[in-house]
Amino acid sequence: MTLAAAPPRTRRGLGDGALWALLLLGLALYAGTLASPYGLRVLALAGCQALLVLGYQFIFGHAGALSLAQGAFFGLGAYVTAILGARYHWDFAATFPLSILVPLGLAAIVAVPVLRLASHYFALATLGLAQVALLLVVNADDWTGGALGLTGVPGIAVRGEALPRGLPLAAAVWSAVAAGAWLSWRVTRGLTGTAYAVLRSDPIAASAIGLGQSRLRFAAFLSSAAYAGAAGALQAHTVGVVSSETLEFSVMVTCLAMTVIGGSTRIAGALLGALLLTYLPEWLRFLQGYALLAYGVALLAMIILTPDGIAGLIGRAFARGRQGARPPPTPVRLQGSRSATLEARSLTKRFGGVLALDGVDLVIEPGQILGLIGPNGSGKTTLANVISGLVSPDDGVMRLGPRGLRGLGADKIARAGIARGFQTPALPPSLSALELVALARARAAGEIGFFAAVVGRDAGKRRRRFEAEALDLLGRVGLSGEAERACGTLPPGLAWRVEVARALALDPGLIILDEPAAGLGEREQAELRAALRDIAGHGIALLVIEHNMPFLLPTAHRIVVLDQGRVIAKGKPAEVVRDPAVIAAYLGREKLPA
Amino acid sequence: MSLLQLVLNGMALGAAYALVALGFVLVLNATGAVNFAQGDLVMAGGYTSAALAAALPLPGLALLPVVIGAMALLGLLVAGLAYFPLMRRPATAVFVSTIAIGLVLQNAALNLFGPEPRTAPPVWDSEPLRWGAVTLSSQALAVIGIAAVLVSGQAWLLARTRLGRNLRATAQDRDMAAALGIPVTAMIALSFALAAALAGAAGALLANQFFVTPTTGGALILKAYIAVVIGGWGSLAGAVVGALLVGLFETVVAAAVSYTAASALLYAALLVILLLRPQGLFGEAAGRRA
Repeated sequence: MTLAAAPPRTRRGLGDGALWALLLLGLALYAGTLASPYGLRVLALAGCQALLVLGYQFIFGHAGALSLAQGAFFGLGAYVTAILGARYHWDFAATFPLSILVPLGLAAIVAVPVLRLASHYFALATLGLAQVALLLVVNADDWTGGALGLTGVPGIAVRGEALPRGLPLAAAVWSAVAAGAWLSWRVTRGLTGTAYAVLRSDPIAASAIGLGQSRLRFAAFLSSAAYAGAAGALQAHTVGVVSSETLEFSVMVTCLAMTVIGGSTRIAGALLGALLLTYLPEWLRFLQGYALLAYGVALLAMIILTPDGIAGLIGRAFARGRQGARPPPTPVRLQGSRSATLEARSLTKRFGGVLALDGVDLVIEPGQILGLIGPNGSGKTTLANVISGLVSPDDGVMRLGPRGLRGLGADKIARAGIARGFQTPALPPSLSALELVALARARAAGEIGFFAAVVGRDAGKRRRRFEAEALDLLGRVGLSGEAERACGTLPPGLAWRVEVARALALDPGLIILDEPAAGLGEREQAELRAALRDIAGHGIALLVIEHNMPFLLPTAHRIVVLDQGRVIAKGKPAEVVRDPAVIAAYLGREKLPA
Repeated sequence: MSLLQLVLNGMALGAAYALVALGFVLVLNATGAVNFAQGDLVMAGGYTSAALAAALPLPGLALLPVVIGAMALLGLLVAGLAYFPLMRRPATAVFVSTIAIGLVLQNAALNLFGPEPRTAPPVWDSEPLRWGAVTLSSQALAVIGIAAVLVSGQAWLLARTRLGRNLRATAQDRDMAAALGIPVTAMIALSFALAAALAGAAGALLANQFFVTPTTGGALILKAYIAVVIGGWGSLAGAVVGALLVGLFETVVAAAVSYTAASALLYAALLVILLLRPQGLFGEAAGRRA
């Protein structure tokens, strides 16, 4: 599913943090002074929805996966509380954690098969899950009361001390919302939030910095289920009745609408969406039978009028500049600490009937610049894709130093020390080069992760440290002046610089570049050559695919020539261009472009 | 009930699902977006048919073209309200906007017709066909027949006509189609109109056999979604095959166990299929060049 990435931090408006803190304060004032008992009940219900939406933002907004099971997790939490509370008179101290753990456990069980599905299959699988849950609950009437449901769910009571409904209950619900918002804030505001943005806008760009889909998506899915369970439990306490309606698809639809209308990645968006869509039917009540009709119309109007949700709209209205000054660059030592010989033997890859790679052998020594040439369709990019793990070979052996690489995914290969640039630069369009390279540094330092973000300290300080290192790397490729520009707006002459800086950020042993000189002028080619020489000088190997011979021949130490998936020549540049087999291969289709 | 009888009943149900699924895929291909209001359009078709029958003393077969025409207009309205304003936005925006359209349709039906089930007129009145123990009601036969005509008409339109080529070109690569001078906007609007027309036909046919209520659409869109996933995302022929499979499965399991079990097992089967074949039962052409 393609979702618009969050706008870059540099253009973010009124801080999300300020906005949601203000919102919570306003609500507290309203609850304490103005609200009637009925108003407090509606307020508590809105809080339950806000918690549900906060959770949904993890999987839908941040991980970018359209889960349709959020309503089911919500219903499950409500039923756990209702069954244990109304039937067995268990204490809130036991039912509440269980209401979170049961949906969490279910999510953990189904996550492994379901999360690997592509977008629409994921949506349908989660929907199927929700439907099965609904049917089970309706039919297990001994436990659940069937379609009628369970009545007499007690209010919140801890060790016999009942929390009165009205203001105390509303305050308890909104305290849970505040806690949920704070937790989400810790995870998503920093570099881990940026990691999610890269993951959903461009999975290949994510794998290029060693970010795997699975862990971050898994954490997002589990968190969404946990929040939903908590929201369901609180709703059961607030309403006192739990029926199969809590599991129906309409709960999911409402949650989705709240998320899209409020804003799918901002915490203030979750609160605004939940409040607005909870109060809208109340405000439309004078329309009687037509209230829901008007609700549908209002929903449609809001989707059309607010692209980033209401929170995005407010953020832009109060737009202001970047907070804080740029840190001074911190020199990064390119140690080539993972320098090792890349060795590939008999790599074979077949696409249908086409043999794209036919037993390719390749050795790249540390510090060597190896040029890879060949006519169009000779298998150069396929070879790069196989070595970087984007395509798995049918046969053959690959190792970097002692470590076997075959069978590893692209993100694991990037972690093993092989960095990659792409023919069409894989740069998340709305992120700045600084954010991207800082993220790559943080990933290389092992600092990206859901739980790391929750428990980590000094997030801001560490972020500045990675940004300082990123500025040094961007300076090496001559991009300091444009570091804060969104990647999507960079001209091609600058895009390669971001790709090289990103590769360097991983402290790799080998960097693969696919036609980096394409479209570059003379001066830029010279800069690129100097940058590549400098990198090789630090013991890092380079594999450069290139058509531009006047650029490549003086740059590369050695050249390998591919034709129809086979290596037809290798050696020093001067020898290779005189090789009769090479000339024949080129003259067969096109002239040797030297 | 004999197995043959069950299969015939299942085919009749599947044929109606096929009309829903086909409309779903048409819009999916033209826009890349899921039209979640497709089930509610079927419901609207059912009510249109019921209302027309009350106003005009005509047989169902004569009303069908009127229903289809009216629903095509509604399809254009849906395109104008829920798709075109959101063309350049992520696909989820359209997902939500069509949910909103569905809400509007449901509540419009509730206000106009009330919550009681309504029924549409039969396509024609005649004695059921019998072969020994096997009976096929004239309505079931009509559903299968009309669905077959509409599905093959659709296939002919797409495969053999200039208009169909333009529609397919728009579905495959909108920018390229526009560059070739194909009126892309008109083609997308037409896809919505065709999808709603098919939904109208399905609604008129289903509303006679199974009644129609304002909330009928929800279950139908889920069945269509499943049919499209089973048949291969975006494949028209696959959607028809998937819909027939879903109809057969439901009918046979409902007869053998219970209706609830049929629904639960359908979703369970779906989950198993996705588990074993993450790319759908018949696969889909996908893949990205690095």
